[in-house]
Amino acid sequence: MGYEPLVSQNPLRAFNIGRTGNQLGLVMARAGLGKTALLVQIALDAILRGKNVLHVSIGETIDKTRLWYDDILQLILQEHSVNRPHELIEMVAQHRMIMTFNESSFSRPRLEERLNDLVLQNIFVPNCIVIDGFDFENTERQVLEDIKDLTENMSLQAWFSAISHREDTRFSPAGVPAPCHEIDDLFDTIILLKPESDSSINLEVIRNSGEKVENGKELKLDPTTMMVKEI
Amino acid sequence: MNETRSCRATVTPFLFTPQVLYIECASGLIAALEERVMKKDLGKVRNIGISAHIDSGKTTLTERILFYTQRIHAIHEVRGKDGVGATMDSMELEKERGITIQSAATYCDWKDYAINIIDTPGHVDFTIEVERALRVLDGAVLILCSVGGVQSQSITVNRQMTRYKVPRIAFINKCDRTGANPYRVTQQLRDKLDLNAVMLQLPIGLESDLEGMVDLVTMKAIYFDGEQGDSIRIEEIPDNLRDEAEEKREELLDAVSMFSDELMEAMLEEEEIDEALIHEAVRKGTLSLELTPVFIGSAYKNKGVQPLLDAVTSYLPCPTDVENTALDLDKGEEEIVVTNDPADNLVALAFKLEDGRYGQLTYIRTYQGTLSKGDTIINTRTGKKVKVGRLVRMHANEMEEIETAGSGDIVALFGVDCASGDTFCNDKINWSMSSMHVPAPVISLAVTPVDNKAQINMSKALNRFTKEDPTFKTFVDHETGETIISGMGELHLEVYIERMKREYKAEVEIGAPQVAYRETILQRADFDYTHKKQTGGSGQFGRVAGYIEPLEEGEYEFVDQIVGGAIPREFISSCDKGFQKALAKGILTGSPITGIRAVINDGSFHAVDSSDVAFQLAAIGAFKAGYPKASPVIMEPIMKVAVEGPSEFQGAVMGSLNQRRGVIIGTFEEGNYTVVESEVPLSEMFGYSTTLRSLTQGKAEFTMEFSTYKQVPKSVADELIKEFEAQKKDA
Repeated sequence: MGYEPLVSQNPLRAFNIGRTGNQLGLVMARAGLGKTALLVQIALDAILRGKNVLHVSIGETIDKTRLWYDDILQLILQEHSVNRPHELIEMVAQHRMIMTFNESSFSRPRLEERLNDLVLQNIFVPNCIVIDGFDFENTERQVLEDIKDLTENMSLQAWFSAISHREDTRFSPAGVPAPCHEIDDLFDTIILLKPESDSSINLEVIRNSGEKVENGKELKLDPTTMMVKEI
Repeated sequence: MNETRSCRATVTPFLFTPQVLYIECASGLIAALEERVMKKDLGKVRNIGISAHIDSGKTTLTERILFYTQRIHAIHEVRGKDGVGATMDSMELEKERGITIQSAATYCDWKDYAINIIDTPGHVDFTIEVERALRVLDGAVLILCSVGGVQSQSITVNRQMTRYKVPRIAFINKCDRTGANPYRVTQQLRDKLDLNAVMLQLPIGLESDLEGMVDLVTMKAIYFDGEQGDSIRIEEIPDNLRDEAEEKREELLDAVSMFSDELMEAMLEEEEIDEALIHEAVRKGTLSLELTPVFIGSAYKNKGVQPLLDAVTSYLPCPTDVENTALDLDKGEEEIVVTNDPADNLVALAFKLEDGRYGQLTYIRTYQGTLSKGDTIINTRTGKKVKVGRLVRMHANEMEEIETAGSGDIVALFGVDCASGDTFCNDKINWSMSSMHVPAPVISLAVTPVDNKAQINMSKALNRFTKEDPTFKTFVDHETGETIISGMGELHLEVYIERMKREYKAEVEIGAPQVAYRETILQRADFDYTHKKQTGGSGQFGRVAGYIEPLEEGEYEFVDQIVGGAIPREFISSCDKGFQKALAKGILTGSPITGIRAVINDGSFHAVDSSDVAFQLAAIGAFKAGYPKASPVIMEPIMKVAVEGPSEFQGAVMGSLNQRRGVIIGTFEEGNYTVVESEVPLSEMFGYSTTLRSLTQGKAEFTMEFSTYKQVPKSVADELIKEFEAQKKDA
């Protein structure tokens, strides 16, 4: 497809983030640090590697979700020259589908029903599913186990985002903050976004199912563009 | 109440639909309005639009407004049993279908304000009408159905309003319907339309128990008594709503205090808050487009209309609150802000044309200066002088003669020949209001009149429609001799065909709808072509060399890189003309070619035999030589299709779109209600309404608007090329 440089130069590769198997991943941070931006970059990386991504947005609109992709794609295009940018944009649209729910409409059975609608009619067969805005605070462990079963059965890689709160000081032994401190064992990859004093945002990889291929490298989010950068 | 008023019956002679007879009061309203405009009191003029999703009750609301402002003296329902139909739906077809197709302009008086209302159509196929109306408006009321909420058309309309920077207030209608939930709709305004929506009222009861509303500014309950809700009763807030009202008022104050330091101060000091302060803050927020006040009611049940009118006068802008710009044609289209001063040079925009039996009626809005009967004005597009004959103020399909129209007014002229979008000025200036965004038609079909009489009537009808509606085009296909009409969608064309039959008695047979394909190129190709002809008489000679390449934006560009006079100056434009002629028909499907940059960098000429025609033909030949080498492809119009309906059908709906080569962009689910957004080639959308109806037991509906042109897939392209070849052989 000619987008190999975009894949091979992606800083995410340093940690093999999202590039192995049917794992369950989690991105955690306080509000406004760039969870969605990171999820979209993980999703775009998958799309550029030829995968289909289903982006589930809870409590967001289709347009706003699409805008995230458009904006990040524009930033990528500014950094890397691509022969026919229109084709890339088109390709991304074809390998991505957005599903939005309002908070009360999202449930595991409904997600399964929707996935079946797509897969059985061969409308869109996702390899990766991104779930942004999932309410971890009011969710039982059982529900998440169910979703994990579902994604494993359908051979999907799945990524969640979760909001942590400054005032909540509960942590799991591995260092995962509430509200995910009691369920962190379900996830194969966990990334925390931590604000630094110089207003940049560090990616702290707590657990990684993929091997860390280049030791000594760190990842950051550029605070103005929210793009992942190597340092 | 009519009996106590002194009335006279008038049958106005200019009705387009003569079966409607209105009783009109000689109440002196017109004189009052004129006086106000003449007194330069533009602060008391409102030019507003009423926009919404189809069937959310625009026309019913407008009807009520006209009733309460005493412009009409009986209420007719849209699909009423009395068979009269609502006043604003002045075309027969609209009455039958219950939808409003053309925006009818009307004006009314509320308290001491003059309000011009443009009723806008709700179907996406007629968006040009909505856009044109928005261009001349200062503010708008966005109507939403309390059950259906923010539907796809509301999103389109909202986007258009944002584009034209129209401040708006929202009215959540149909609160008497089962399932009404204005709170949910307000939330949707925030989520889906990204508006800072704040409720200024609370419903007292909902669905069939809807009694009235609580005004959160005055903290009083409002009830609407009398058969037609015309007598308003103000009372204390019912006890069971007091707490909620207090809470919502706090929310309201929090939201609007951003726009007024005084209000913020008063809140911090916990002083008694003056109503005027709140009004002022809401107005400021609304005008800056940062706040959308939300009102509720049920137009059908006559509840909530009068407070909405108060809101229109209090919160929506007057002509001087809005900055409008014109382009000075004498200074290279320099942008100029219009002054709104009635004493200044005239600038007026024709935004809508209608052709009645007494000639063409042109709706115009004045932006500055004053327009008087007998004036001579100039159409800045054509440079033609026009004498203002009759000047009228429109009320749906009745009209009142007036002498002058001041700046900021919306009126109509008789017998002025122009196209919609033209600007009129006096002889001192040469300005044009910025051109309106007109999308290209995407669908066409052939119309054949059944007999000679129909032929004459059809050409009259088409002549009128094309002047009225810039998205509706017509031409004669020289190869088949057929008359082709084209527009923005199936319904768009259907309505014009119906109007031809009804209003012009032109019986026509129609062909199958054709999609407007285009061709373009994917890569650069060089050409070097010599046109030579020497058979008797004077010869022809011209050589053109250069290349064509894809143009990312725009349709066509001509670049002259000739140096040293290889082609003489006078023949350069001939080459340009030749290329343009060549672009009219591609070799793959005979569709127009777009997205081409043609560059000429060499050539030769003959002192005697070179001519304009010779170089035009050389350019055509050069293009034909280069085009096949430039990877030509076929492009097709892609429509943005949104299907809304119960969630249980989501799978089936997605399947149906997928089968039609649609790309599903996303889905939105809320409770049991789903929207599927997709992009589907127009060629696959014929007959979709039938498919959708049978798939969903008629419970889902869809809207469609043009999105972009995209390359057709190889298999489809092969089919199209084959078809075209076969057609050529037949011909």
